[in-house]
Amino acid sequence: MMISQVNNTFYKRPMIVIFASMVLTSIGLTSLFSISPHHSSDVMSSSFLKQLIFLGPAIIGLILMVFIPRYLIHKYIYIIYAIVLCGLVLPYFSQNVAGTNRWIDLGFIGFQPSEFAKWVIVICLARYLSDHKLKMRNLSSFIIPFIIIIIPALIVLKQPDLGTALVMLIPLLPMLYWAGAKSYHLFLLIAPFFSILTAFHPLPFSIWAILMILIILLEKPSLIVGLIVYFTNLFLGLLAPVFWNSLKEYQQKRILTLFNPELDPLGAAYQIIQSQTAIGSGGIFGKGIGEGTQTHLKFLPVQESDFILSVIGEEMGFVCIALIILIFTWLILTIVKLSYSSKDRFSGLVLIGIASLFLSHVFVNSAMTIGIIPVKGLPLPFISAGGSFLISCFMMVGIVMNVGVDSHD
Amino acid sequence: MLKAENLIPKGRYYIFSGIVIILMIVLISRFCYLQIFKYEQYKHKAEINRIRAVTIDAPRGLILDRNRNILVDNYPTYILTGIPGEMEDRENIFYTLSYCTGIDSINFAKNYKKYYRAKFVPTRLMKDLTIQQISILEEYKLDLPGVNYKKFPERYYSSEINGSHFLGHLKEVDSKIRSQMGNPNKFELGDLIGWTGLEKQYESQLRGMRGVKYLEVDALGREMGEVEGYNNRRAIPGNDLRLTIDSKLQALLEEEMKNYCGTGIVSIPESGEILAYVSKPDYHPNLFVGKMVAGRWNKLLKNQNRPLLDRVTTGLYPPGSTFKIITALALLETNLINPKEEIECTGTYQFGNRTFKCWKEDGHGYVNFQKGIAQSCNIYFYQMIQKISFSRWSNICFNFGFGEITGIDVAYEKSGLIPTENYMNNKYGKWGWSRGNLLNLALGQGDILVTPIQMVQFINQVVTHGNAGRLHLAERKTQKKVIKNILSKNNWEILEKSLEATVKNNQGTGRNADPHINGLIIGGKTGTAENPHGNPHAWFIGYGKKGDSTITSVILIENGGHGGEIAAPIFRKVFSYYFSPKSQHLVLNNP
Repeated sequence: MMISQVNNTFYKRPMIVIFASMVLTSIGLTSLFSISPHHSSDVMSSSFLKQLIFLGPAIIGLILMVFIPRYLIHKYIYIIYAIVLCGLVLPYFSQNVAGTNRWIDLGFIGFQPSEFAKWVIVICLARYLSDHKLKMRNLSSFIIPFIIIIIPALIVLKQPDLGTALVMLIPLLPMLYWAGAKSYHLFLLIAPFFSILTAFHPLPFSIWAILMILIILLEKPSLIVGLIVYFTNLFLGLLAPVFWNSLKEYQQKRILTLFNPELDPLGAAYQIIQSQTAIGSGGIFGKGIGEGTQTHLKFLPVQESDFILSVIGEEMGFVCIALIILIFTWLILTIVKLSYSSKDRFSGLVLIGIASLFLSHVFVNSAMTIGIIPVKGLPLPFISAGGSFLISCFMMVGIVMNVGVDSHD
Repeated sequence: MLKAENLIPKGRYYIFSGIVIILMIVLISRFCYLQIFKYEQYKHKAEINRIRAVTIDAPRGLILDRNRNILVDNYPTYILTGIPGEMEDRENIFYTLSYCTGIDSINFAKNYKKYYRAKFVPTRLMKDLTIQQISILEEYKLDLPGVNYKKFPERYYSSEINGSHFLGHLKEVDSKIRSQMGNPNKFELGDLIGWTGLEKQYESQLRGMRGVKYLEVDALGREMGEVEGYNNRRAIPGNDLRLTIDSKLQALLEEEMKNYCGTGIVSIPESGEILAYVSKPDYHPNLFVGKMVAGRWNKLLKNQNRPLLDRVTTGLYPPGSTFKIITALALLETNLINPKEEIECTGTYQFGNRTFKCWKEDGHGYVNFQKGIAQSCNIYFYQMIQKISFSRWSNICFNFGFGEITGIDVAYEKSGLIPTENYMNNKYGKWGWSRGNLLNLALGQGDILVTPIQMVQFINQVVTHGNAGRLHLAERKTQKKVIKNILSKNNWEILEKSLEATVKNNQGTGRNADPHINGLIIGGKTGTAENPHGNPHAWFIGYGKKGDSTITSVILIENGGHGGEIAAPIFRKVFSYYFSPKSQHLVLNNP
């Protein structure tokens, strides 16, 4: 009886999600195998073997997340959120690894709490937004969701890990949107970022300033509110240089060379140029597994994690890249669809949050390897080497399978 | 608590899905652009990224003497290069290099600036490193990204001779030299190029051809092996150069002249081969090899005896009494004199309102042609020169190659000066000079300037009766330089007898030149050339004949005084060595 019930519920799960993630993981393992040393004692420390070993706990994590009753997650998520916050602070007390406070040393293995914080935040936000039947008519109802998300983001930013911090902020927008926030309010939320970004050049700043007037006029707020919104943004824009100076030099460099990578072919843009060269030289069918000259001659930096897509692009070609992107698109659209069709609000919000997490990782990582956004140190889900992130991704898949019961079955 | 209904507007679902699709299309199209449209371009970029062309320097050819003794050799040194684009923390790299080699890091920085050509062209950082220094560097290779070393053959002068002026030296190619080359790509900054002497003259023969090796390298610049399918080219060493120099004779002459400024040349007149070529003061050519060249160079430059000057081909001197042979030739050619005819030398000679003196104040008494030459009587030649015209005299000079370069294979030869009527008119005005000046010219004084090598050619022509070989230092087929129809055979003999009397006669000015070897006939002429720089220059030019073997020599000692007293004894030592029964001489093949 029990077994048939489990069977029955399992049958209703969106199996396609687990199928997609397994395909992506296999592609990832193949490329990690290609770049691992094939001889002598180095094999044990190769990223391929590590990834293979982590696949075990990852699958356990997935199964765990599938079968944990949904109400338990809903009930204890605030406590988990608090634990995760502590976990994010913990690395500051352990040893500094490679200039960052990102890792908790568990003796045998390093552990990155920030990877798990990503989806814990999403669930926490989903709980808050679903509990509080928010009317989302007031800008003030954004305050607590914003606080939930900004605290871990700030801790991570301080580690410093700009990429992860930005990725943590991203789900807020679609989740608020899903929860029924007014577009104008979302505009007000992201307006400051645009004000800051455009402030570095007079032309985009002028265009943005005019655009702001138009949007505010369309919304027809009271004169005073409109003026406050407008001038606060302008003021933020003027503060941008101060913000700029607060960035670390390597972060400034990354942003600057984005616009003209050829300026500094061996400095910050080195990675972008080498990565583009690797990908471009792969052509349609690639050079063959283990044949990538860029990859194997170590021209590619951090190739097993952030730049794994360059390895794939070089060795397996456009065909494989297109396949990966299609699978990701399929996976994300499926989760979005599950979210849209889920019966309760909490599940819908959790799913859209996880969909945006996957989307932001895939987009930021790919865009970085092909030089359309600055180098951001974000891994590609399922494919990049990295134990914590692999486990985290499989747990997200588990959550999707847990809350996203396909109603059409 | 899970009761809250999920109420998502359909429009928002579509918008969100639309955003996902748009972002993914952006990614796909960018990948498509890179991998399909820009494929060729990136493929090429990847190729040059992984392949580094390493040049292999070819050793220059050796320089050998006529007996195949090595005069100029190569020895392997190491040079250190850095690829500017790969040396990110240059300061630190120079510091590490300094730590490994014990050379001040400033020197690396200086060289870097000096040899920098482009971001990815290996730039020389240091040369002449030893294998010990290189092996320490190898241990620190990982701290030295972009730094490489390669073998580099340097010149090494192993023989006992200096030969500094004819061997010449090499110079490093700098950006200025490189830009002046017809084909600048033939040279890299820091390459060595023959700059003076034979190294310059035979540059194309001595220079090897650089080889190229295409290596696969990783991003850390570590070589991963050779790449197949590329045109790897071995370095081709330059061709050896065999000289006509006899290094033993050269060494002897260098030793004999070590305390003087001047020149000593020994040659074989028939073929024009130079056996010895000494210009003093000289220097050891190893001085120009190695790192600290500039300091030694400046020291040589500042030396007031001018050791860098090649006096043999670029030193200009009045020939003094040796030029009486020219006058004699002019007289004999035109049959204007009877060699038996005597004039009286009282020690002075009145010409117009000027009084000319003989070097022997008491006079030589009655002087005929032979005595005039043998005792170098000025008065005889003052009188005789008046029988010939200025232009005839000039033409004889030109016929014997004065006033133009001899064409010896040493660069930068000078042509000297032979006055003509035109020259005198230009210099002194038409009425500013008289035939009195010609009297001076007859004695090799006045405006005449000759180089010692012209004197060698001159004595060679005399001893071969106008059939001497063109002078040369590098072994080659004899090229004759014939002067036609100068003297009858009889007149040549008269001249030779007179020159031999100069040495044989116990009154002869050249009596100190005779080594007294059985069967050896020595002929010659002394010269004591007045000059504005102090004591007269001492000349001795002459030849020695024994059996089939004839050699000639020209000795010049700057400000040495009387030719017979200082130049002739050196001449004697050369001939005494060369014609001593023990000496064996190799005759070069002249097919």
